[in-house]
Amino acid sequence: MDTGGTVSAGESIVVDELGKTFKVPVREPGLRSAVTSLFNRKTKDVVAVDEVSFTINAGEIVGFLGPNGAGKTTTLKMLSGLLHPSGGRADVLGFTPFDRDKDFLRQITLVMGNRNQLQWDLPAVDSFEMSRAVYRIPRVDFVEQRDELIELLDLGELVSKPVRNLSLGERMKAEIANSLLHRPSVLFLDEPTLGLDVTMQRRIRSFLADYNKRHNATVLLTSHYMADVEALCRRVMVINNGSLVFDGDLEALSDKFADHKTLVVTLSEPVDLSDYGEVVDDSSPSRPTIRIGGDQAASVTSRLLAEQPVLDLTIEQPPIDDVIEQAFGVEVEAESEAPA
Amino acid sequence: MRLFLIFLRIGVMNEFQYRINLAVQLLQSLIAVGTGLVVLALIFQQTTTLSGWTQPELLVVMGVYTIVGGIVGFIIEPNMGQLMQDIRMGTFDYLLTKPADSQLLVSVRQFRLWALTDVVVGCIVGAWGLASMSATVRPVDAVGFVVFLGAGAVLIYCVWLLITTGAFWFVRMEMVQELFQGIYRAGQYPVSIYPTWLRTILTFVLPIGFAVTFPSEALTRRATVTWALVMIGFTVALFVATRLVWRIGTRRYSGASA
Amino acid sequence: MTTPLSTPLSTLRWYGDLYLTMARMAIIEQFQYRAANYMYMIGMVAEPVVYLVVWSVVATQQGGEVGGLTPRTIAAYYIVWTLVRNMNIVFTPFGWEQRIREGQLSGQLLRPLHPIHYDLAFFAGWKVVVIVMWLPIAAVLAWLFRPEIDPRLSQVVVFAVAIWGAYLIRSMLLWMLGMVTFWTTRVGAAFDFFFTAELLLSGRVVPMRLMPDWAQTLARYLPFESTFGFPITALVGPITDAELVEGLIRQAFWIVAGSIGVALMWRRATKVFTSVAG
Repeated sequence: MDTGGTVSAGESIVVDELGKTFKVPVREPGLRSAVTSLFNRKTKDVVAVDEVSFTINAGEIVGFLGPNGAGKTTTLKMLSGLLHPSGGRADVLGFTPFDRDKDFLRQITLVMGNRNQLQWDLPAVDSFEMSRAVYRIPRVDFVEQRDELIELLDLGELVSKPVRNLSLGERMKAEIANSLLHRPSVLFLDEPTLGLDVTMQRRIRSFLADYNKRHNATVLLTSHYMADVEALCRRVMVINNGSLVFDGDLEALSDKFADHKTLVVTLSEPVDLSDYGEVVDDSSPSRPTIRIGGDQAASVTSRLLAEQPVLDLTIEQPPIDDVIEQAFGVEVEAESEAPA
Repeated sequence: MRLFLIFLRIGVMNEFQYRINLAVQLLQSLIAVGTGLVVLALIFQQTTTLSGWTQPELLVVMGVYTIVGGIVGFIIEPNMGQLMQDIRMGTFDYLLTKPADSQLLVSVRQFRLWALTDVVVGCIVGAWGLASMSATVRPVDAVGFVVFLGAGAVLIYCVWLLITTGAFWFVRMEMVQELFQGIYRAGQYPVSIYPTWLRTILTFVLPIGFAVTFPSEALTRRATVTWALVMIGFTVALFVATRLVWRIGTRRYSGASA
Repeated sequence: MTTPLSTPLSTLRWYGDLYLTMARMAIIEQFQYRAANYMYMIGMVAEPVVYLVVWSVVATQQGGEVGGLTPRTIAAYYIVWTLVRNMNIVFTPFGWEQRIREGQLSGQLLRPLHPIHYDLAFFAGWKVVVIVMWLPIAAVLAWLFRPEIDPRLSQVVVFAVAIWGAYLIRSMLLWMLGMVTFWTTRVGAAFDFFFTAELLLSGRVVPMRLMPDWAQTLARYLPFESTFGFPITALVGPITDAELVEGLIRQAFWIVAGSIGVALMWRRATKVFTSVAG
């Protein structure tokens, strides 16, 4: 067993110049190249993760942000032992993830929002039962943990319905419960709230916060939803083009990189607000949305309240992808993470 | 007919993007036929005729079996598979809104061009069998062969569509394809070798006998006028019945989903 | 969580629990699909019925016997065939591509268990459903074709063991074949060659005794007969007790060889997988 002493007390994840380079086959169109590529494959190197280093302490919840294709999923996969790094070192709970030691696997979990580990045609409780057998959870602990998860995630009767009959959100909750039955102390969560409605997102968020507190679990989380990150993470790391470009407090990230905020103003009668900022949405004239500079929030708000018939007003942070796009000048576009 | 040509062209274009798969498919056809030939050789190591059929005559049967299999795989199976999926997923609604005959539309939407390799391989095996036979093929035999082959294909289409139409009533019918492919294997040999009860099923319930054995019988001078009339009458009757059931089924479907 | 203490006995109990749990799931799941399962099984019956009829006709024409087999022993052979064929259904090598693409494999790699156990247990559970559903099919076939079968107790016992041996061997063979997907995705044709060789040299198309001598000799060095012809002959006969024992030893050999093969290939396959996909 590898218990290499690089992880000192309190440290849960230590990553040192971790890198991953994929060889991607290059294929020209046409039959001839299709045939030649059978024997002589041309490849090019794509750097997905470039010498990333960080340390995460036990019990920390860290938000892992970046545009699509930046290397988030690749990093999570390396940390959970699914991908072999091309360089550098990773230590999770004293194990080298890629060895995939059974004792290591028993202490971690990886939840991916778009993957399904539950048996489609059976109730989730049957999948839970299978996890019990696979992770060798003693029956007493299993029942306790299962019931706790069912309660915390508000699953109730849903666990006895066939998974195929559950909604996306319900399935995700069951999926999370199944991934946590063995009470892992390190959680890698890749877009756990992807595609879920707001209520469900909130529920999962509060559950994760609770789980973290109860079991002092370490959580590394990626999400497209700023609200997830704001609610859960004090610390965020931003990865872009495979490199870590920010590692610190969440507030510092917003203050540093968001150069604008969005104001949604509810008025008792329609007024043109273009004097206050750029009107980005006036589809309902008495509830326009305007965009203002990041440091003008206080001044613009007080002016609005004084000068206009304002009924209600909310200040919104720009979406996380906007912040990142502006801060790092990258196009946020749907691009596959890895040639999986 | 124009509809048919348009769909056919799209199908051809799609398939040609995967020309390498064509080679693979050809290899698969050859392997399948090769296996059949090995079994024939094993049988004729022990005997000289099988229920009165000589080895070259059984080669003809195998050729016809492969040709019909190719036709089924080319047009019937892909369309019926797609129809089954459409009914299950609810996308069948779109078809009913199109201004064309719905039965025609579901029957000629898709083509699996590769399956035609079976037709080619089947022709070769059949021709080989004919060449090693002592008797020659008269023009009337050839005409009978073509007519029976066409009627046989229509019969298989009707039965398959009838079963698929069952999906309007019972949703889970995915295994039909497996079932049919399994039973179709019986056509590798002339139906006359089977016990009477089985022969009757293979002729009138799952008309593999009509589709494979009859065209082969025409080529080996076994066909009789009486049976030819029975077959053609049966084909017409089944086609009409299929059309009727399709009408009822689609009406039921639109009634249920409205 | 603390790791449970490992003793040989506790490990054995753990695997027992694991297999029972997963097999139970498979039974419940497949029982939901009994109608589909039946259709599938009935479609499958056509193949042996064709062989049965063809060889019965040959035997009758040859004065009631071909290679020592009468129409009624041929019927017995192909009726037992239907059960052994079902025991031979395991995870298809064509399924690996989807498994990799859709991430099921990643999910299994995250768990502290060799993924072959999922397949072995799942399909073993399914087999229980299959055997139960097979009984009426066998009864109908027996009524139609009047098989002649009169096994000794030793034959019945060896048969009951050998069908599971056959299941294990074929599971591992097809697992190895499927793992080729990790190195190249153009595997269809290779699979077809494998299946054709298996078809001809396993006793599936014809009982091995009707094959030419050289083919019988060749088959002795290949695993296919252990997965198909041997279990059938074990029950149907004619077979001596010494041959029964020899057959079981052959099966044991292929199980050991298969386990080693799967273990070695799996180790290399995960290396490939975790360097490119994950």
